[in-house]
Amino acid sequence: MLKYIPLIFLSILTISYSAAAQTFGAQEFTLQNGMQVVVIPNHRAPVVTHMVWMKVGAADEKPGLSGMAHYLEHLLFKGTAKQAPGEFSKTVKTLGGNDNAFTSQDYTAFFESIAVENLPKMMEMEADRMTGLNPPEEHFKSEKSVVLEERRQRTDNDPRALFGEQLNSLLYINHPYGIPVIGWMNEIEDYEWADVKKFYDTWYAPNNAVLVVSGDITAEKLKPLAEKYYGAIPKKEVPKRIRPLVPPAPGNTLLTLQDPSIHQSMYHKIFIAPAESRNRSDSLALQVLSDIIDGGSATRLYKSLVVEQKKATSVQFNYNSTALDYGTVTLGGVPASGVSPEELGKLLDAELRKVVEKGVTETEVKEAIQRLTDEAIFARDSVAGPAMIFGAALTTGSSVQDIENWPADIAKVTVERVNEAAKTYLDENNPWVRPPVTGYLLPEEKPAPTPEPAKQEQETPDVQG
Amino acid sequence: MFKDKRPGKWALLGALLLIVLVGLLLFFGMRAQAADQFLPVREIQTPGGITLWIVEDHSLPIIAMDFLFLDSGTALDPDDKQGLARLLSNTMDEGAGELDSQAFQKALSDNSITLMFNAGRDGFGGELKTLTRNSAKAFELLGLAMNAPRFDEEAVSRMRGGNLARIKSSLSEPDWMAARLLNDRAFDNHPYGKNSGGTLSSLGKITAQDLRDFKSRNLTRDRLMIAIVGDVDGKTIGPVIDNIFGKLPAKGPEKSIPDTTIANPGKVYLYEQDIPQTMVEIMLPAFDNKDKDYYAQQILNYIYGGGGFGSRLMEEVREKNGLTYGIYSSMLDLRHGDAMSVSTSTKNGSAKQVLDIIKAEMLRLQNEPVTAKELDNAKSYLIGSMPLSLSSSDQIAGMILSLRARGLPINYLDTLASNIRAVTPEDLQRVAKRILKPEQAVTILVGKPDSIANAEIVKELPNVQ
Repeated sequence: MLKYIPLIFLSILTISYSAAAQTFGAQEFTLQNGMQVVVIPNHRAPVVTHMVWMKVGAADEKPGLSGMAHYLEHLLFKGTAKQAPGEFSKTVKTLGGNDNAFTSQDYTAFFESIAVENLPKMMEMEADRMTGLNPPEEHFKSEKSVVLEERRQRTDNDPRALFGEQLNSLLYINHPYGIPVIGWMNEIEDYEWADVKKFYDTWYAPNNAVLVVSGDITAEKLKPLAEKYYGAIPKKEVPKRIRPLVPPAPGNTLLTLQDPSIHQSMYHKIFIAPAESRNRSDSLALQVLSDIIDGGSATRLYKSLVVEQKKATSVQFNYNSTALDYGTVTLGGVPASGVSPEELGKLLDAELRKVVEKGVTETEVKEAIQRLTDEAIFARDSVAGPAMIFGAALTTGSSVQDIENWPADIAKVTVERVNEAAKTYLDENNPWVRPPVTGYLLPEEKPAPTPEPAKQEQETPDVQG
Repeated sequence: MFKDKRPGKWALLGALLLIVLVGLLLFFGMRAQAADQFLPVREIQTPGGITLWIVEDHSLPIIAMDFLFLDSGTALDPDDKQGLARLLSNTMDEGAGELDSQAFQKALSDNSITLMFNAGRDGFGGELKTLTRNSAKAFELLGLAMNAPRFDEEAVSRMRGGNLARIKSSLSEPDWMAARLLNDRAFDNHPYGKNSGGTLSSLGKITAQDLRDFKSRNLTRDRLMIAIVGDVDGKTIGPVIDNIFGKLPAKGPEKSIPDTTIANPGKVYLYEQDIPQTMVEIMLPAFDNKDKDYYAQQILNYIYGGGGFGSRLMEEVREKNGLTYGIYSSMLDLRHGDAMSVSTSTKNGSAKQVLDIIKAEMLRLQNEPVTAKELDNAKSYLIGSMPLSLSSSDQIAGMILSLRARGLPINYLDTLASNIRAVTPEDLQRVAKRILKPEQAVTILVGKPDSIANAEIVKELPNVQ
């Protein structure tokens, strides 16, 4: 039964409280072994989402072992001294829950959504696999085949995914973000158990983890459970995440990928940009800018290129801020019929140039701030969603207060700050760190529809650096 | 932070949502609490005679509304104007009354209102989500879109262009190709087999007048179903709903969509593509909730392939043999036909082995009763996971609308647990003999599989050009 009546009162309290600072009303504490714990109470349904976030991802892998963090994530389902291979997920299901895990460049996360009375069991099992991983050899092998199939399905079967992978690897000179999270095919094939075990032993520790529990729970109720299950795991020395830098790299980089299965060309450009945790003030300004440029079909990019000029059927401008080292800004579009991707590329670049040179208006800033702060209210309408937001932020250098204060801080962004951020990060003539990478995904040219000589067909990406 | 639109993050959120949705679509479990209603859904009638299902929940200042016009979807598209209902769903929110497309979109955006229309095989629907403080504006804009859409030439042609580009983009997606071919072959000569998204030639034939005619003929009050959830007052919402929908025609012409079963039993179709992995799609006839074995069918699907980890297919194909990243079965509950489908992908060299396992596991369920433990585990998941789908307003709105659209009673969730509990191993075996019949399956392959005998080679994807 949902707890409706008490909630009516509670919601009045939280609303007036949230006006002060609290967006999610998150509560935070740290166990003696250094494990950070965040609770996001939401008593709408008798369920919780329980997540363990490890502060380790693909960008922490050793050269030659790409995809190791993700492969290890798979192996966490393959048994410990106490759990048979596959038993973890089966137990969760039998208790009426769902579980899964995912890996990014900066974090590896494991989660279960389940009725709140089963939370202790989830914590017991999750704590067990933080230290006792022990997959039998045949499972180690078969899971490698599974990951190879995953790579084929996600990337190798899809020329657009290959294009994205290539663009990324060109942007991040000297930095591991250029290596795909899933890894390169031939490196996945060569993993040895000893390497995986070493990676696990190095990084999996309570003091390198964040526990996030969202749903029908409070910090008061969770704390004894967290101490019982996770508190018993000894802390250990975990290496600092020292990552290389992207060096200044003058010179434009252009990627052209032609593929016979492409029937619709695309233009794409990626800029390197600051991560929110590295430069929060500039990052917030870029978040507002992103919403001004592409915050729906009534904002700049769509209005100009799709509605007014009719040169594109879709456009995209997006700032990704959640990362430990660098964020990215992407600009892209699909050309309208009869428009070449090169022409669309020039027009999109010109649109951005206009923002850099002339700036945006105060009204645009005000409207974007309204949309963004409203987003924060909608974000509360979920159990798993807020847990995702907190976990991703806390494993990439942000704090609980950063999240709780986000709407208030976004509201303080001024038109001057937005225009400065545009000049700092999006001016191709005076780039931040390095110029953006430009890419065209194109159909293979058909042989000789006109007298002009047929071009050599290209199977492999054509890179000019 | 909340507006982070990078694909990676959406993929993660998407994965989470999917997990919840799988629970939602296939099974509606519930907790054993006899006297209480599982979810306080009420049916109310507006002064104008429109009935709606409502769940009041004032914990957040958010209202979510879903509605559907039954038997008014893409199955009604004329053969030479496929994509008509879909194009209508794209253009209804592109200007209405005095507001042209940009003015309408800006009004939505300035008030943080989400309004989307959708067209599926069985119906034409819409979703509205708003903050309480903007709800009057939201209902006003929805009313305008329903009663006075403009279908300006500019907007219609822009949406047509977007759809054409989308089709061309899809032509490099193996899973889209497989779905297109499956739909065509499984629903041979039935309106469900049409290309809902339109074809490269059909979209150009659709005029603004076609959109107006389709709307006035099919979006009529006799086909309308509404669900509304969140910070809404059942006592005052009636007249608001009447203002939106009360002026629509009371009745439209009789619909003549015949009932159907899955065509081309036993046939295997191969669409050759030069990719490393083969997509596999299989469809079999099944039955709906009017059949006494409906609950047994749900459990059987869960055990066979619906349950993910722990299901027979996932255990055999992924866990034991490492042949895929994922394999799932699911139930397709359409108004005029019911089916089970199986979907997976595997490297070209193992396609035959995977097809053999899919078939063998069908026969095993026909020939051997499931163990008591396997059945108990399935039941506890189906019953216990129900509350997971009750954690956000739009999720709840979508769920109760789907119950209503499928003709299920308003207390369906309250009786489900006892119906699930009553199922025996004998019931499952009987249902396996009814539906898990390999000879009834139509099979679609996209890729370059080795050693597939008896496959009919498809040279061109049907209904795309």
